[in-house]
Amino acid sequence: MTPTTSAARILELRGITKSYGSVTACDAVDLTVDAGEIHGLLGENGAGKSSLMKVLLGLIRRDAGTVLVRGEQVALDSPQEAAELGIGMVHQHFSLISGLTVWENVALGDTGAVNKQAVCAEIAEVAARYGLPVDPEARVDALAAGERQRVEVVKCLRRNPQILILDEPTSVLTQAESQELFAVLGRVVQEEGRAVILISHKLAEIVQATDRVTVLRKGSVAFRAVTAETTAPELARQMVGRDVSLHDEAAALGMLPVRKTRTAERGAHDRQPPVLRLAGLTVEKGGVKVLEGVDLTVGAGEICALYGVEGSGQAVLGEVLAGLLAPTAGTVEVAGRRVDMSRPGALGKAGLGIVPEDRHQSGVVLDMSVTENLTMKSLDRLSGRFLLRRRAMHSEARRLADEFNIVAPSLDAPVRSLSGGNQQRVVLARELSGHTSVLVAAQPTHGLDVGAIEDMYARLRQAAADGVGVLLISTELEEVMALATWIAVISSGRITGALPVSDATPERLGMLVGGEAA
Amino acid sequence: MSAASLTSGDEIARRFLARLRPGPGGWIATGLTVVLVAVAAGASALLLLLTGGSPSASAAAIWTGSLADATGWTTTLLNAAPLLLVAVGACICASAGTFNIGQEGQVLIGGLAGAWVGLRLALPGPMLVVMVLIAAAVGGGAWAALSALMLRLRGVNVPVSTLLMTFLAIQLVTFAVSTPWLQESAQGSSGIADAASNPLPANARLAGFGQYPSVQLNVGLFIALVAAVGVALVLSRSRWGFRVRMLGLNPLTAKHTGVRVAALGGFTLALSGAFAGLAGGLLLVSPVGTNRLQAGLSDNFGWDGLLVALVARNRPLVAIPVSLVFAVLRAGGDFLSATGVPYYLVDVVKALLVLAFVAPPVLIDLFSRRRGATPQAAPDMSVVPTKVKAAA
Repeated sequence: MTPTTSAARILELRGITKSYGSVTACDAVDLTVDAGEIHGLLGENGAGKSSLMKVLLGLIRRDAGTVLVRGEQVALDSPQEAAELGIGMVHQHFSLISGLTVWENVALGDTGAVNKQAVCAEIAEVAARYGLPVDPEARVDALAAGERQRVEVVKCLRRNPQILILDEPTSVLTQAESQELFAVLGRVVQEEGRAVILISHKLAEIVQATDRVTVLRKGSVAFRAVTAETTAPELARQMVGRDVSLHDEAAALGMLPVRKTRTAERGAHDRQPPVLRLAGLTVEKGGVKVLEGVDLTVGAGEICALYGVEGSGQAVLGEVLAGLLAPTAGTVEVAGRRVDMSRPGALGKAGLGIVPEDRHQSGVVLDMSVTENLTMKSLDRLSGRFLLRRRAMHSEARRLADEFNIVAPSLDAPVRSLSGGNQQRVVLARELSGHTSVLVAAQPTHGLDVGAIEDMYARLRQAAADGVGVLLISTELEEVMALATWIAVISSGRITGALPVSDATPERLGMLVGGEAA
Repeated sequence: MSAASLTSGDEIARRFLARLRPGPGGWIATGLTVVLVAVAAGASALLLLLTGGSPSASAAAIWTGSLADATGWTTTLLNAAPLLLVAVGACICASAGTFNIGQEGQVLIGGLAGAWVGLRLALPGPMLVVMVLIAAAVGGGAWAALSALMLRLRGVNVPVSTLLMTFLAIQLVTFAVSTPWLQESAQGSSGIADAASNPLPANARLAGFGQYPSVQLNVGLFIALVAAVGVALVLSRSRWGFRVRMLGLNPLTAKHTGVRVAALGGFTLALSGAFAGLAGGLLLVSPVGTNRLQAGLSDNFGWDGLLVALVARNRPLVAIPVSLVFAVLRAGGDFLSATGVPYYLVDVVKALLVLAFVAPPVLIDLFSRRRGATPQAAPDMSVVPTKVKAAA
C-alpha cells in the first residue's frame, strides 16, 4: 500500500516557503509522493493547499525550498516546465470554455496544427482506458456538472501526466459521480504507476480514497499518516487544530451526521404555519422550462431543505428568490402576502432575505465598504429620503458586526479585503437585519472552511429558533441531513419529492435526485 | 445566467471602467505617475526636435498663451469650464457603470438646441441666456437618452451607439445651419450657404464680470465648479448616489437590493449627456467660440472632457485641476500653433499626458500579476490572459 523506497518516489518537496507580503501561505512544507499512490492533501481553506500546488504547477514562484521530480532537482519556473515534467492539474473551478465542444476544449493549449480526428481518437482512447465516457462532439454548456468534471479529467489525462493533482474534485458531484471518479483514480495509480494528489477538505473522501495523507494547517504540515492507520476524528482534529465533536461538525467535514437533532424530530411531526409559499413557479429560458411548477412551503421556525445536484434548477430558483429573475408563471407568498415579482426589491421589502449562491455576483459589492454592504438594504430605515445618514449607518453596521462576529480591518474597509467566511457573514447579517421572516440560504457553505461552516450552521439554526423560516438550497447531502427538518428534492426543474428528515436516507434521496419516486 | 442579460452589451466597457476606478494608490502609483509624466514630457520634446521645432520655445509659447498674462489665463479659464462640465457628466455615468463616449456629439446637439432657442425665442434680457443653457442641457440629455433607449429596446452597446451618434450629430448640425431654421440670410451673395448660424443676439451671450477688456471671465466657470462639487457630494452622500455607485460596482447586487437597474442606468446616461449639452450651450454663449452654431462648435471639447474624466479616474473633484491642465494645453496650444508649430503636435502631447496618468494602476496591476503576488488572484489561471488583454 505504501511503497517508500526511493525508487518509487516520484515527487519530493523540501522546505517550500511562499509568502505574500506579511502573510506566509506555505511555511517550510515537506511533501513526498510515491508512484502508485493517491496522496491526500487535507486542510481548511487558507491552509496553504492551493499555494503549494500553484508552486508545483509553476504558476507562482516559491521563496525557498527545493523540488525533486524522480530524484532530480527542478526549477519549476513556468507552467510549461511543470507540464513537461508531467505534472497536470484538474482545477476546482472548471476551466472549460462553454461555447466550445469537448474535443476543442481538450485540444486547447496544444501547439501546432489542430487535427480533429487525432484529438477525437485520443479522447476515445483515454475514455476507453479509464472508463470515462465523453462525447467529443458535445458542446460543453450542454453537459451536466459530472460530465464536465469528466472532460476536465480526460483533458488532463490525455497529456499523460505522471503526477495528477485534483483540487476539490467532488464539490459539484453527486455521491455516485464521486464514487465513479475515485474508481478511475484508483485505476490510474494502480495499473500505471502514476501518482495522484487529491486536495480536499472533506474527510470522508480522503479516508475513502487515499493511501497516505498530509494535513496542512496554517501553512505548515500538521500531520502525516498512512490513511489506513488513522481515523477520521484524528484527521479532523489535526486539520482544525482542536477537538471536534463529531456531530455538528461532521457535516461540515463532509461526513454523514451520526444522529439527528432534537429539533429535527420535533419538526418532522407538526409543521408550522407557512411563511414562504411557492406555487406553480415556472421559469422559461430560451423556450426551455428550467423550473416547472415548483410548489414549496416553508414554515415559521423550521429549516426546510431543497436538495439536488448542480444544474437541477436550484440556481434558477435562487435567482428568482434573489429578485434577479422574474418567473414566467406562478406566485410567491411571503408571510401570507403575495409578492409582486415585477417590482425590484419587493421580496426584500416583504421580509425575505437571501444568502445567494455566488456572493460575489449578487451578495456583496466587493468594492464598497463593510458598512455600506451591511446597510444597503435598510436605507429606508437608516437614512433620510435624500441624504445618507452616515452615523446611523455606521452604528447599525457596528451592531451587526458585533452580533455576527464579523472580523474586518475596519468597517470602512472594502468587503473585498475580508475572508470568505466573513464576507458570507456580512451577507447573512444584512439579510437577517430588519423584519426578516424568511431566509433563503443557497449553497451557504460553498468554499468556506470548517470553522466558518460550523458558524453558518449555528446561525441558520439560531435564525430558525428565532422564528424565521429557513429554506436551505444545497447540493451537500450531509448538510441537508444535518440541518433540515423537511427535505424536498429537485430534479430537472421539478420537485420530485418531499419527506421529513426522519424518513430520509441517502438512498431514497439519491433516487429522488435521479428523478425517480421513492 | 441573468448576469449576461443585465450586463451583456456593456461587459467590455464595464471591465474597462473597473480599471479606471481609484486603484492601488500610494507611493508607488504616485512615483510611477511622476516618472511617466517626465517620460511623456521628454518624448514630446523629442518629437518637437524631430519636426524641427524648439522645445523651449514651444514651452514658452504655451506659457505665454495660457498663463503669462490676464488674456492668457482668461482664455485658459474660459476653456476649463466646458471641459469640466463634460468631465463631470462622464464621471456620473461611469460611476453607474456605463461608458458614454459620445460627448462630442452631445455637445453639438446641446449647441443646436441652445442656438434654436437663442435665435427663435425673443425673450427679454438675461432670461434668454438662461433658456439657451437649459435648452442645451435638455438637448444633450435627450440625445444621450436615445442611446439609453437603444440599449433598453434592442440591447445596443452603449459605447458604440454614443460614439456613432456623434457623427449623426455633426451631420444634423451641418444641415441645420444651412436651413432657415437657424439662418435667415441662408443664401449669401455667392449663393453658397455659410456653414454657420446667425450670431446669437447680445442678450443670449454671457457677459463678463466687471469692465476689464482683457478679462472676460463669466458665470460659466462658476456653473462648472458648482456642478463638480455638487455631483461629488451627491455621489458620495446621497441615497441616489449610493444606488448609482452600487449599480456601477455590481449591478446584480444592486438589482437584488431593489435598484431599478435599467432605469437608473439610462437616467445617468441621459444626465451625462445633459452635462455635455450644457457645455455645448456654454460654448455658444461664452466668448470661447464665435457665438454662432457651426459643426466645428464642439472643437474636440467633448473628447477632451472625456479625457479629463479618464485622467481624474471619474472623481469629479479631481477633474477640476485636471480640466485646468487640459485648458492650459488648449489655450497654450492655440497660441503655439500661431507660432507655426502644427496643432496636431499639441494633440500628441495631450495623448502622451493622458497615457502617463492612466497607465500606472494598470502597470502596477500587471506587474503584481506577473509576480503572482496577489493572494486573492483568481485560482483559475485561464482568466488571466483575458484580463491582461482588457488592460492593454
